[in-house]
Amino acid sequence: MSKSRPNHLAGFGSVVWLLVVGLPLYVMLVATFQSRPDYAANGPLAFPEHFTLDNYIKDLNSGFAQYFLNTVVVTVCVVGIVVLLVPPLAYTIVRSRGRATTTVFRLFLLGLAIPSQAVIVPMFFVISEAGLYDNLIGVILPTAAFAMPVCALILTGVMRDITPDLYEAMTMDGASSRRVFFQLVLPLSRSGIATIVVFSALQAWNGFLFPLVLTQSAETKVITLGLYEFQTEHGVDTPGLLAAVVLSMLPILIVYLFARRALVQGLMGVGGK
Amino acid sequence: MKQRARFSRTVVVGGAALALVLSLTGCGGGSGAADDGAIHVLVYGDAANKVEKELVATFNETSEVKVVLDTIPGADYQAKLQTIIRSKQAPDVFFNWGGGSIKPFVDAGLLLPLDSFIADDPGLKANFLPSVFNSAVVDGASYGIPMRGTQPVLLFNNGKVLKKAGVEPPRTWDDLLAAVKALKADGVTPIALGGGDRWPTLMWFEYLYDRIAGPELFQKALDGDKDAWASPDSRKALSMIRELVDAGAFGTNYDSVKFTDQGSPTLLATGKAGFELMGSWEYSTQQDAHPEFAKSDLGYSAFPSVEGGKGDRANLVGNTNNFYSVVKKTKHPQAVAEFLKLMYSDRFVKAQLSIGNLPTTTNTEAFLDTAASPEFAKFQYGMVKEAPAFQLSWDQAYPQSAATAMYQALQQFFNGSMDEDAFIEAMQALPTS
Amino acid sequence: MNPTAVVSERPGDKGTAGRALKKDGPVGIGASRPGFLWAVPAAVFFGLFAIVPLIMVAVLSFASWDGLSDPEFAGLANWKKLLDDPVMIKSLWLSVLLTVLGVAVQTPLSILLGVWAAGHQRNRAVLSAIYFVPMLLSIAAVSVLWRALLDPNLGVPAHATWLFGDGNLFGVQAGAIGVLVFVSTWQFTPLHTLIYQGAARAVPQVLYQAAQIDGAGRVRQFFHITLPQLRNAIITSMILMVVGGLTTFDTVLILTQGGPGSDTTISAYYMYQKAFKSFDYGSASAIALLLVLVSTLISLIVVRLSGYDKMRSTMEGL
Repeated sequence: MSKSRPNHLAGFGSVVWLLVVGLPLYVMLVATFQSRPDYAANGPLAFPEHFTLDNYIKDLNSGFAQYFLNTVVVTVCVVGIVVLLVPPLAYTIVRSRGRATTTVFRLFLLGLAIPSQAVIVPMFFVISEAGLYDNLIGVILPTAAFAMPVCALILTGVMRDITPDLYEAMTMDGASSRRVFFQLVLPLSRSGIATIVVFSALQAWNGFLFPLVLTQSAETKVITLGLYEFQTEHGVDTPGLLAAVVLSMLPILIVYLFARRALVQGLMGVGGK
Repeated sequence: MKQRARFSRTVVVGGAALALVLSLTGCGGGSGAADDGAIHVLVYGDAANKVEKELVATFNETSEVKVVLDTIPGADYQAKLQTIIRSKQAPDVFFNWGGGSIKPFVDAGLLLPLDSFIADDPGLKANFLPSVFNSAVVDGASYGIPMRGTQPVLLFNNGKVLKKAGVEPPRTWDDLLAAVKALKADGVTPIALGGGDRWPTLMWFEYLYDRIAGPELFQKALDGDKDAWASPDSRKALSMIRELVDAGAFGTNYDSVKFTDQGSPTLLATGKAGFELMGSWEYSTQQDAHPEFAKSDLGYSAFPSVEGGKGDRANLVGNTNNFYSVVKKTKHPQAVAEFLKLMYSDRFVKAQLSIGNLPTTTNTEAFLDTAASPEFAKFQYGMVKEAPAFQLSWDQAYPQSAATAMYQALQQFFNGSMDEDAFIEAMQALPTS
Repeated sequence: MNPTAVVSERPGDKGTAGRALKKDGPVGIGASRPGFLWAVPAAVFFGLFAIVPLIMVAVLSFASWDGLSDPEFAGLANWKKLLDDPVMIKSLWLSVLLTVLGVAVQTPLSILLGVWAAGHQRNRAVLSAIYFVPMLLSIAAVSVLWRALLDPNLGVPAHATWLFGDGNLFGVQAGAIGVLVFVSTWQFTPLHTLIYQGAARAVPQVLYQAAQIDGAGRVRQFFHITLPQLRNAIITSMILMVVGGLTTFDTVLILTQGGPGSDTTISAYYMYQKAFKSFDYGSASAIALLLVLVSTLISLIVVRLSGYDKMRSTMEGL
């Protein structure tokens, strides 16, 4: 950008947005360190007089540790499935000439326009018939399936950028399509794979409707549902509720702190490439 | 729809294969309630679970077949129940409201008639008040054993707030209007209402229709007589609701407040509101969240009478009782029968009384003195015993498919975004069969 | 994030595939090309868990079913019912309204923030890092957070009556819609900002240098260079917003439950109500199918109108 006089208007705007983003986060954090009576007495805007970690401890003891673990299991499995299935698919789409491949690709394009809510009714009966109701696997499978179209698109985009010369060079060496995949395509699509990892992980982490309809017991509850139920049952325990919200973002926050670049690049990838 | 069967079969095979692969590779986990040799008892998740947990623990001490208690938080209970009751994960025993709430399950042949249990142990029937027991009799067969208790809707108050404003619990509608005025002048919201949940709003309709027209009007409407809603009595009830809302009885932000997240009970307990019309579970809710308030300042009275109305001032509305029903597919009918016998045990009755519930067993009266608040228990018991009519909540009396549209109409009329004629039309459009 | 968030048909998906084939046609030796088998696992998996249920939805939309007994063929009854259902028509209108409002608020905001954040100044990097935080929270968490913050008696409104009045945000339509739009803006602006930031950084600096020599001011540069260069990013981000908006669900369930009345009952939520509150799976399936059709249609229109499917090279720099 141009290096001219400082832009006061932009500076002012950026501070306003900082307040819009920051104030609620401040209120949230401050509330979680107060006891419930203190919070009720002081209101959401005051600074706490007595710091306490009780809200966090209480939440962890009331099942959030388990919900946490469930969410991690779901996330890891979803990412695993996506990373296992999508790269070969993308590779085929980019390189295969077959009519069947084109059909498959169209199918995935159609998949982009299917909102997950739309299939929730049959999904319930399918999962339940398969004996997977109230089982994390029953959440993992559809979540992974619905993350696939976008991931396939992202990855085909990346793989297309591998120049034909490289394929030709390897082919002339007599490499099999398997070798081409492992030695050429995969290494060159690392950025794309990073993006689909981020994307599918966020899908799984955020998942709400599938767990809402497909699970019921505390053993299979994921953290988004835990938050929802906490709110419907004890919504007025604002400090406890907000502590749970903070807990729910901790893992991603840690990823963000240590791998900000990868995360941000990955998300930019969701939009662009 | 034969296709569906074929679809689901294909999917079952594929899904099962995938599941197998995944579990082999170490993904997954979870409980998979399918068949672990235990009895699964599904109950509505709330403060009363405490007693159910104790009861299950007691049962499991001696029984070979164990009971597992599953809870689903209130807001989602009905939805979850209906979706799983036909599936493999159906519970063995489940909580319900009797009557209309189990009729579709009976019609679909999913429930076990309990008459053979009763033949083995007549106490399963004889130990409950007949009027209550009979509300879970469908087509001549018994399908429910009363549990928890009866839950009439009462007008709760904060004694301290009333005193300060110089107000007594109202005996008549005019008393109520005067109290609203006085409380408003005193700077508190006269009546707390969790309008965000919608069913608390319904209670005001139920009582006013009852007081003005008697229980017959609603029964007629439920039987399919659409003119009932357009009758002069119906219009009178609506205009009185309008009058109360417009007088500022509920403040202005009631639709942003909920009961389920304890928003409205907190208003009452913290002295920000004077009254709340609520089911008798208000007591256990307050006892749980605001024990000090429940002990010292929580007051209650019957809904006021309306001058010239046809309804008896002793009439009640609410949940006649909760019931346990048994799913036909259960593999442990004997153990289930044993479990159900606990519902009339002295121990259960006392435990329910201790959290403010009022069981409807014949021996309840003997234990009223052991209740959390004997006074409250006796008051309630007396009212239920004396009531000429006990109207089941409209949302339970109507079929489930009517609930959403009913709630919407109630809320919109109440907050003034729908007029009388539109409301009547909306109620007439509800499915009744 | 929404599963169907990105509907971007990658620029010239099929087209470029064709071109690529032609290009390396002469050298392509069969053995080096992956066979269809490579795509089978993904295709089967996706077919089972997305396409099969979708077909079932289509079938169910012609059935009457309460989940307790077996489904019965009902012909067009569900569809006819929907056409006569004022709540259904209102819900479509509300979906469109929420989506349009979301796009109208978020697009200018995130373009400005994105372009601003594209600068390499240190303070911008720090602020951008903070701006990003809402993105770390799940939709459910954000909704729960705002429901708590906006509680009329226990939240911020009780202490800021000058701003919120009586705090009846969830009791009037304008308030409830305002909350929904604000909350999704609060959560999703970081994502769109990122998209624009990436795109703005890719704008060739020479364009600005040339403009400066011509004496163009900052505003002129923005409108004549930056905005046209962001064209692709704008399309991508708008598709994200449109599909995200049409399928909003968690936020409505947690914040408003479709209320007051049916004033925020958008189609996706109405479908959920039909299915899991009224147990009318047939009608719910019809709404679901309608949602699929509408979102397919919209993405196709956007792709066509924008000529998105014909562009490719401009995206490379992203």
